[in-house]
Amino acid sequence: MIRFILNRLLLLIPLLLVVSVLVFLLLRLGENDPAMSYLRLSRIPPSEQALAEVREQLGLNRPLVVQYFDWLGRALRMDFGLSYVTGAPVLDRLLYYLPNTLYLAGVSMLITLGLGLPLGVWSALRKDRWPDHFSRGLAFIGVSTPSFWLGFMLVFLFSIKLGWLPPLGMGSPLHVIMPAFSLSLMSLCINTRLIRTSMLEQMNARSVLYARIRGVLEKWVIGRHVLRNSLIPVVTAIGMHMGELLGGAVVVENVFAWPGVGRYAVSAIYNRDFPVMQCFLLMMTALFVVSNLLVDVLCAWLDPRLRYGKGAEL
Amino acid sequence: MRRYFKLMSAFILALALICPLSDLGQAGTPSGTLVYSHTSNVGPLNPHLYSPNQMFAQTMVYEPLVRYAEGGRIIPWLAEKWDKSADGREYTFFLRKDVVFSDGTPFDAEAVKKNVETVLSNAKKHSWLEMIAQIQPAQVVDAHTVKLVLKDPYYPLLQDLALVRPLRFLSPTGFPEGGKSTAEGLKAPIGTGPWVLRETKLGEYDLFVRNEKYWGAKPAMERLLIKVIPDPNSRAVAFETGEIDLIYGDGQINLDTFGRYSKDKRYQTKISPPLSTRCVAMNTKKGATKELPVRKAILHAVDKDSIIKGVFLGTELRADTLFPPTLPYCDLGLNPDGFDPAKAAKLLDEAGWKKTGTSGVRSRDGQTLTVDLCFLGKNAVHKSIAEVIQAQLMKVGMDVQLIGEEDDSFYKRQHMGEFDLIFNDTWGPPYDPHSFVGSWRVPSHADFQAQSGLPNKAKIDERISQVLVSVDEKARQDMYREILTSIHDQAVYLPLSYTTGLAVHGPNLENVGFGATEYEIPFEAMKKK
Repeated sequence: MIRFILNRLLLLIPLLLVVSVLVFLLLRLGENDPAMSYLRLSRIPPSEQALAEVREQLGLNRPLVVQYFDWLGRALRMDFGLSYVTGAPVLDRLLYYLPNTLYLAGVSMLITLGLGLPLGVWSALRKDRWPDHFSRGLAFIGVSTPSFWLGFMLVFLFSIKLGWLPPLGMGSPLHVIMPAFSLSLMSLCINTRLIRTSMLEQMNARSVLYARIRGVLEKWVIGRHVLRNSLIPVVTAIGMHMGELLGGAVVVENVFAWPGVGRYAVSAIYNRDFPVMQCFLLMMTALFVVSNLLVDVLCAWLDPRLRYGKGAEL
Repeated sequence: MRRYFKLMSAFILALALICPLSDLGQAGTPSGTLVYSHTSNVGPLNPHLYSPNQMFAQTMVYEPLVRYAEGGRIIPWLAEKWDKSADGREYTFFLRKDVVFSDGTPFDAEAVKKNVETVLSNAKKHSWLEMIAQIQPAQVVDAHTVKLVLKDPYYPLLQDLALVRPLRFLSPTGFPEGGKSTAEGLKAPIGTGPWVLRETKLGEYDLFVRNEKYWGAKPAMERLLIKVIPDPNSRAVAFETGEIDLIYGDGQINLDTFGRYSKDKRYQTKISPPLSTRCVAMNTKKGATKELPVRKAILHAVDKDSIIKGVFLGTELRADTLFPPTLPYCDLGLNPDGFDPAKAAKLLDEAGWKKTGTSGVRSRDGQTLTVDLCFLGKNAVHKSIAEVIQAQLMKVGMDVQLIGEEDDSFYKRQHMGEFDLIFNDTWGPPYDPHSFVGSWRVPSHADFQAQSGLPNKAKIDERISQVLVSVDEKARQDMYREILTSIHDQAVYLPLSYTTGLAVHGPNLENVGFGATEYEIPFEAMKKK
């Protein structure tokens, strides 16, 4: 198992390298010109002289290869450069905002699992009856609802009309409710459907039939045999949800003025702040890969078949 | 299942307990606090640098020697008076004696000298501003008198000194250690202005407090909290739920939302006097707009009043000239090229552009009359205006291709001259007219490129260089008349409207007014009941 984890972690190094090259090239091969953006933000007319001055200041007048290796050399020492716009160290700023995003994503994950599981189980146990229709309908609507729209609707209802919840910002525990719900709805709906399908599959498994023949109580059949086995695909999906939640945070954080890393990334995109975008994308890649690794480890731990079969080979 | 729910409740409780709690911002603000919002944090508030320092916040903390007032007047500020030598090269400023920085350090001639020195040591960063190329290091005459000597008799020195940056005054105690320049950073943002930056929480808010040592009228409110809200819709929600007290400025909310508030009795809405001019620049070197009759026809074919009514919901004023006549040297009595589609059609007919086919588009020698109109794709106002212009020019037989692009591509087109028609606003006071006109001499925004096909472009540029260093007031007026009349008569710009700033607040906020420029928000007068 340790070898398996080490292997996966080692694989992260070439992956991050490839991503860094791709991101570096994609940002620079387009029409984007950070010097023009800097002058626009500073309200300085973009004359040739001003553009040349800013390009020199930001190091943009050097060949691309030199720029990349210079950046890589410093990145290996955990120095991801200074923001073109603020002049502040990029990594410091991202690490400053990251806990807020992880907090939002964490609460969203709790909602996804906390509501998705009972809804999925309920739907499977009452298959083709109203609870099933209700949860399937909800899942259908939820998957098709854009998070920013849902965010504004929630704000309209709970902040403007009812005055129950604060509309934006971060502070008390109440502030996280609406952003977390807007962010998690899609994952929640996918999760509900996943659990339902998985439960229904397990209910037809031979082990379940034998348990019933043995006269095991129905609640034990469902709890010990069906539910436990149905959870494995759900754990696998957590890794996927992590990506959805971190990606979705980019939109939701803007709607709710949530001071997270996603909102910082959006402003960096608008301002052509390349160092911030590079570091953000690498950070997200690493987070995504590590969370999937954790999920794989968790699965292997939960499922003896993986541990003794496939896991042993690794 | 029960165990599961218990576990979940424990998790949620734990998260609620560990979640970051902030003392300010959302969970109720102390009384005596005015709450405003901005798209980003105000920045480190370095008075001598640009982005990410927000201009409106720089004016709250730092003050100039002289200040820009309505109608382009220059009034005394930290300097109570000044003398100008007969040759226009020497300015002696007599400083107020009752001014101290917010940390108690006296504001004197040495402080002025130190600030001028640090700005000049980074002259390259300010190459866009003629004043920096003109001034030499300040000379201390006595404790409260300084002299600025210029290389040429650059007349807009006072206007440039009034700008938000780069020449406002930081306390000598705020400079970085080791004699470094402020381009390396600040020790602390300490100025003489009415507000003091107390706390910044990145991505959340900036808190200012009243400068108790302020020499002028002290702010009515004790604290000013500026929340970070990037999205205009979220800002409107924050306003309606009482999270912020004030919406102020250009682009803070959508015009539809402003229209809704202006009809709502719970809110008070205000519109500022004209700021900059919203224009479309026409390329005199390229495409059909190369021809004067085509440019003149465009001026007559566009109904600005319908744009103001339909797009701006009446919040802006119609512009017929590049600069409003209220600006210095701009009251020239120029003839407005009013809305007259028949005249537009006649001009095109006379130029040989005839309607021949069934498409309604004019052509000449097998070439159709088509022009590009470039706009910022994400700018909803640009898009709406562009669509109206497209429809109105079609009525006189001109086909308009709309090109909506993102910022960099759009500004690159302006810079390189790759356009027939392109949105290009003036800069507004205090830059208009002298700084804006001064920028026409090199490619930067669309102006140089749009004018580059004019037969007298070289002459215009020469006049601009002369007017900026002219000593004689009468000669200066004549030269501005020559420059602006020539640009107007040759129809380089299609002026649409004079932009305005918008303000919305509730009945509990008093004395909400507008500053002389869009960068100054007079928070100090505002009072919450």
